[in-house]
Amino acid sequence: MESKVLKPILAVYVGLFILFLYGPFIVLGILSFQQGPEGGPQFPIIEWSTYWYKHLFGLTPPSRIAPLPVGEALVRSLTLAFMTMVTATVLGVMAAQAFRKRFRGAGIVFYLIVLGMMVPGVLTGLGTSLLANNVVGVERHWWSTAFLAHVVYTFPFAFLVMLAILNRFDGSVEEASWSLGVSPMTTFRKVTFPLIFPGVLSAMLFAFTLSFDEFPRTLFASGRDQTLPLAIYGTFSVEIHPNIFAFGVMTTLFSFALLAVYGILMGLSVRRAKKMAMQEDIA
Amino acid sequence: MTATSRNRQKKTTFRLLAPGVVWMILFLIAPIMMIVYVSFWTQTTFAINSTLTLDSWKNFFASEAYVGALWTTIRLWLIVLTLTFVIGYPAALYVGLMVKSKTISTVLLVLCVIPFWTSFLIRVLAWRPMLGKEGAINIILQKLGLIQTPIEVLLFSELSVIIGMTQIYVVFMVGPIAFMLGRIDHNIIEAARDLGAGFGRIFWKIIFPLSLPGVVVGAIFVSVMVLGEFATSGALSGRKVNLLGNIIVTQVGSLKWAMASVVGVILTILLGIVVAGFLRIVDLKREI
Amino acid sequence: MTQRDPIFRLEGVTRRYGNLTALDGIDFVAEDNAYIALLGPSGSGKTSLLRVIAGFETPDAGRIWFQGRDITDLPAHERGIGFVFQNFALFPHLTVFENVAFGLRHGAQALPKDEITERVKSSIEMVGLAGLEDRSPEQISGGQKQRVALARSLVMQPKLVLLDEPLGALDANLRERMQVELRAIRERLDVTFLHVTGSETEALAMGDKVAVLDAGRIVQYDTPDTIYDGPVVSDVAKFLNRFNLFEGSLENGIFTGAFGAVPVTNPRKNKSDTYAIRYDRTQIFDAGDANLPGPALPARFLASEYLGSSIIFLFETEDQKTVEVDHHLSLGEPRPLTVGENYTLSWNPEHAIVFGKETAR
Repeated sequence: MESKVLKPILAVYVGLFILFLYGPFIVLGILSFQQGPEGGPQFPIIEWSTYWYKHLFGLTPPSRIAPLPVGEALVRSLTLAFMTMVTATVLGVMAAQAFRKRFRGAGIVFYLIVLGMMVPGVLTGLGTSLLANNVVGVERHWWSTAFLAHVVYTFPFAFLVMLAILNRFDGSVEEASWSLGVSPMTTFRKVTFPLIFPGVLSAMLFAFTLSFDEFPRTLFASGRDQTLPLAIYGTFSVEIHPNIFAFGVMTTLFSFALLAVYGILMGLSVRRAKKMAMQEDIA
Repeated sequence: MTATSRNRQKKTTFRLLAPGVVWMILFLIAPIMMIVYVSFWTQTTFAINSTLTLDSWKNFFASEAYVGALWTTIRLWLIVLTLTFVIGYPAALYVGLMVKSKTISTVLLVLCVIPFWTSFLIRVLAWRPMLGKEGAINIILQKLGLIQTPIEVLLFSELSVIIGMTQIYVVFMVGPIAFMLGRIDHNIIEAARDLGAGFGRIFWKIIFPLSLPGVVVGAIFVSVMVLGEFATSGALSGRKVNLLGNIIVTQVGSLKWAMASVVGVILTILLGIVVAGFLRIVDLKREI
Repeated sequence: MTQRDPIFRLEGVTRRYGNLTALDGIDFVAEDNAYIALLGPSGSGKTSLLRVIAGFETPDAGRIWFQGRDITDLPAHERGIGFVFQNFALFPHLTVFENVAFGLRHGAQALPKDEITERVKSSIEMVGLAGLEDRSPEQISGGQKQRVALARSLVMQPKLVLLDEPLGALDANLRERMQVELRAIRERLDVTFLHVTGSETEALAMGDKVAVLDAGRIVQYDTPDTIYDGPVVSDVAKFLNRFNLFEGSLENGIFTGAFGAVPVTNPRKNKSDTYAIRYDRTQIFDAGDANLPGPALPARFLASEYLGSSIIFLFETEDQKTVEVDHHLSLGEPRPLTVGENYTLSWNPEHAIVFGKETAR
């Protein structure tokens, strides 16, 4: 069959494809070790150095290149992502829970929620700032208007993740709990929630990373104080220095750390299940 | 009557949904309505007032730059959509269907997703040292002796915007397609092969139709993101490529809220048409 | 069995799913402290009925009374009715002990710790699982899971336990042992079991009383032997899987079918004219034998099936209908038969049950 020929060709193609995905990033990583402060954001590498990493943490003598204003921005971004994560996940779990029963208007509500991830950030951002500026008359802040827009964006993701999890959830354990005289609220806390927790964790991860990296909505909907993506965006219009590349490498490492925490949490629950299975083999 | 327990259930459903629905109405629907409303407001140099007028709309269609941005947006969207499909489908075919081992296919998918844990803006920015006059691609091509002088059109052109967007959004095409391909029962393909069907026939008669929902979902993702773009074009075109999104940003920057709203409404309509068109092909809710 | 107030009562209970009527105005009175088997083919609505009584689903019409109280509008967790699921539905994140203790810990009334421990321990002992308290549900076998599910319900001391095909997920050996144990456990406690099953043998073996459900209605409710000997309608006879049923026509006390015209007495009211004779009451004679106890049905011998205590002989009539003859081995060795040969089947007409649109005057 032709797949004997096709398969290796496609394998090579996928290799190139992954190179395409990673290529720019590899270049960025290399250039982050450019010499400083004279070395620019391009080849050739004058001399390998960690100057720009030190520059990032303010460990270099003052030069004409201003350090990136990332310190406070990072704290703001983390706070915002955390607030968004909690709110979006709670809303997502609740809505997905409601969708386990049939109700009238389910289609409309579904699309209303999914719309939040479909509408481009420019539009949500523009609309939110219009509403805040011209109707309600409040000042825009990252913790108020931008937060609202972030939840609009991440709630649908959390909702869809939970919907997929709950679709596969066997409701008979909940019915068993009710038949033992346990109220639906307690049943949710003691039975449903522990069992869907891995899904909740995924929903939280989704919401957190999406919010942490969110940019178009924040651009319009937050006020003077910048979040991390806004600080990076600010450097676009001015001259670029390798410090932004060094920063890119740092944020990536941070993301991986986050991912690792998630992986460990998931791994722990899997390992627990495996350990039980092994004990059974012995017994 | 038994209506009591039915009411009780209705109440539970209502309570669970109310916060999310209210949130979406107040902070998603209302803002979009607001854009439509403000697009008819009167713009003065430094402020707007709610006297209704068609001026901003007239200005939009009278300006070559604005209407041009609409066409640029549509053109770039079509090009990037085609490229993500053409480049993404073979990759999805390999990951979703050809690879027999679940582990390898998961590893490949994770490899595709990992770049998303880097800031979107950094990923855009990473193309600059790649495509620039003294960038990696030009250096490699020169070293290989394929070109004498660096290719300048690579960066700060429409081409660089297309390359950047394709790389960033292609994964959104690969994911859904690979997912749909992964659900295909291999026995069907085996059976078709036993009946003597060649790969081409199997592909067009079985594999492609079954992956179509994935293609549509991927196309919706890519379309929504590309149509609302402004950062990639801002960072990689050197202000030469102006999309609808870029116009909104500059108009808001100069406090021209009414014009920004007009562009916003046009973008909303464009998106509505595109997404509704795709949803005619596949019911998104059923695929989840 | 002492006669007391009914434990629960259904009044015109109706449940529809879209156009489908799962429960069609069911009226039912169940006596206290009994083992009631609810028998029905798949799609008869038996699981729906159980779920409506448990409160997992709401009837579209009708009332449900439990211990003299109208519970129709009461949510499941306020009913105090136990439920045992076919898939056991144990809490996978809790140990056996915690599974059984769950209702006592998280229910409405707060119990002292010692009492919980004591009740859980005795409940686990009762179902014979002492020593497995700290296992997780993944670490025990199907039969043990079943016992945990039972203990978990019984520890709440309910007056009524609903069992939804509780033996369906077990293998044949285990199923028979659990049948005996379920009856034994129930007899020790003052509790009514309502056991839903699709197996007629299970229903007839286990129930003090058997209710037969068909197309959303209870068509017969009686003791197992009464049902076995006298199904009230042809559907019950068909479902019991013990009768050869012949379509035909009943006119003026004469039933005409594949075996000719036969006079009948006391036909039962039915929606069609059907003649029923039990497998083990059907006898085999040579073709052309004139010395028959009743009607003559010519049939070709197809095959036999050995069941241990009896042999089933399969015949085919001229109109391609399969007829079964059950020969119990306690009656002696069966006569030798040749596959493909024609024989005559006959029976004592007094043993036949006739259903007809026309009832006896």
